[in-house]
Amino acid sequence: MPGKGVPTMLEIKNLTKSYGDVLALDRFSLDLKKGEVLGLLGPNGAGKTTLISILSGTLGDFTGTVNFLGRNIFADRSLKNRLGIVPQDMAFYDELNAMDNLLFWGGLYDVPRADLKKRAAELLDLVELSARAKEPVKNFSGGMKRRLNTAIGLLHKPDLLLLDEPTVGIDVQAKVSILDIIRGVGAAGTAVIFTTHQLAEVETTCSRVAIMDKGRILAQGTLEELVRIVGERDIVEIAGEFAAAAFSEAVQDLAGARIELLSAADGLASLAVADTEEIPKIMDQLFRRKLAVSDLKIKSPSLETVFLKLTGRSLRD
Amino acid sequence: MRRLLLILGNDIRRHLKSPMAVVIFLAIPLFMTGLIGLIFAPGEEESTLPRIAVVLVDRDQSIASKLLMGMFDADQLKKMFEVTVTDEAEGRRRMAKGRATAMIIVPEKFTVDLLDAKTTTLTVVKNPAEQFLPDVVEEFVNTIAVMLSGAIQAFSEEARGIRAMLDQPVESFPWDKLGPELGKAQKKVVAAQAYLNPLLVGIEAEEIKPASAKPKFTRTDLFSIMLPGMAIMFLLFIVQTLMRDIISDREDGKLRRMMTTPLRPMELIGARLVGGWAMGLIVLLVLVAAGTLIFRAYWGNLGSFLVLGAAASFWTAAFFGLFHALVRNRNQSGAISAPIILVFSLFGGSMMNPEAMPKAFKAIGVATPNRWFIDGAKLVREGHFPLVPLAVLFGSGVLLAALAVPALRRKTPV
Repeated sequence: MPGKGVPTMLEIKNLTKSYGDVLALDRFSLDLKKGEVLGLLGPNGAGKTTLISILSGTLGDFTGTVNFLGRNIFADRSLKNRLGIVPQDMAFYDELNAMDNLLFWGGLYDVPRADLKKRAAELLDLVELSARAKEPVKNFSGGMKRRLNTAIGLLHKPDLLLLDEPTVGIDVQAKVSILDIIRGVGAAGTAVIFTTHQLAEVETTCSRVAIMDKGRILAQGTLEELVRIVGERDIVEIAGEFAAAAFSEAVQDLAGARIELLSAADGLASLAVADTEEIPKIMDQLFRRKLAVSDLKIKSPSLETVFLKLTGRSLRD
Repeated sequence: MRRLLLILGNDIRRHLKSPMAVVIFLAIPLFMTGLIGLIFAPGEEESTLPRIAVVLVDRDQSIASKLLMGMFDADQLKKMFEVTVTDEAEGRRRMAKGRATAMIIVPEKFTVDLLDAKTTTLTVVKNPAEQFLPDVVEEFVNTIAVMLSGAIQAFSEEARGIRAMLDQPVESFPWDKLGPELGKAQKKVVAAQAYLNPLLVGIEAEEIKPASAKPKFTRTDLFSIMLPGMAIMFLLFIVQTLMRDIISDREDGKLRRMMTTPLRPMELIGARLVGGWAMGLIVLLVLVAAGTLIFRAYWGNLGSFLVLGAAASFWTAAFFGLFHALVRNRNQSGAISAPIILVFSLFGGSMMNPEAMPKAFKAIGVATPNRWFIDGAKLVREGHFPLVPLAVLFGSGVLLAALAVPALRRKTPV
């Protein structure tokens, strides 16, 4: 994580956006420093894509302020030359080859043609597509297309890179390659925000994590800082044939400093316990209420646990 | 402007990389024009009329009737008439079966009556099932009657000599006297040559058509008339296909990505409208070149025609710009645009001759670009500048563009 004295690239203050009655972003605030790679974690509908759309200038009708490099990102069109976007869609032309795609998309930025060609060649090397540079993109695999999609966002050497779920639907090899690129970009000084559902990606790639739900940031910090939220407790995951409400009622009397209910869904619940000796008490309560338990797992605290604690649901919900 | 040209160039490059749709839409009008032309157009041969089947009934069986039959053997008349000599009953049967246009009956004593300067009558029986060809035969026989009457009056002295010889039996026919009689006639002919020569020229001159007659219609003419109708119909299809990028870019997220760059919405909208217009014009140029090379189509003043084509292409680009701002997705675009183009083409005259259309069709056709383009092309072909069609296409195109730009702007993310 960048230390003190590192300049702030992005300042978001009280960003609010609603679709009719649904509040997509609720007074959302965030700072991002140069070279910082921020993983934005949140379940579906948390507001991640809305945030990326507003920052990239393709969504309007919101309140709040966003300053990029100290200037209003929406008022100063020239800032678009310093902002890179990697959308969730494979947004390029299938009938063109990789090089032509890079030259076209790069051409929309104010990059001199000669520099652009050189930069496109560098990026094709970086995403390991040099050998297929002249081949129509429609022949590419899903992973290759994702890598090209990422490369397009880097053509003009942006100061801020926004990636919206850049690893969706690709194989492990391509995923590792893209995450390597993101780490490399951050190390080179570019501030990065990348949204994902994959906790493991955030754990291995990001210098800072923000967990958001219902349009707000619930917690943010380094991985260690977030885990401390849950404390030095074990996580007990219980599966069985029970209703969420019945489970919550059964463990209600035990709740306190040593036992905390993190989440309860029909058939699956998670609790944080100060000591594994608390587990028999929980089981006793469940048996008394005649709630059938089929499986019990004890886990160490992780980002997933933090997420569960903060949102009350897992990322897959 | 740089970005507008970049998008324009990229669009053209992309469509050239997968040109199948454009090639198909270019090939279809040429193929259809060729096919229809081959089926319906007359050939390029000189003769535009069929040979007229005439039955000749010779009740005279003498010199004059044989001369009359011999006339039909003359080169030019041979091309016009197909003469069958038979009796009256067979002649009527032939006409009833539609195998003869008219029957000419040479009466008995035709030669003798002529030489005696008596009135005699050639009868023409016309086939009522045919329209104008029997009249041609009647006119022709009238002409012969006039010629024969004039000839007999001019050669009355010689005719009397020959007439006297005809009364004698064949075995005692004075062949030695026939020569001098014909010699006298020949002297008159030579003397009259100075007057006859202009007459012969006058007969030749009859081949020149009267001013009221319609010019000969050829296959090339048919292609020249058909191609503009086909061209505008497929111009609509091609421009629609190319401008579908507006909606596919929106659906695939490319529009959103473009709007994250410094590109301004108006640059993108301008590029798409100019692109549609330019591609339409290029396609029209290819069609004109192919039509000229393959069908020898005549377009009139090429400059005027291209100005008209530019206006039609502009109208088409503006129309489909607005259309793609209003439809929701690619499927909707495909499902709605094809019927629209077909309706335009049906009422606008791409599928049938506008002059032969019912009044209601013609009234609806006024609202289609096809009708104005076809009318304009006709004016250019006839040597006029297509001012009104041009003004209508350009004016309504400007109106459509004025509606399309804000509609497209609304569909462009921020």
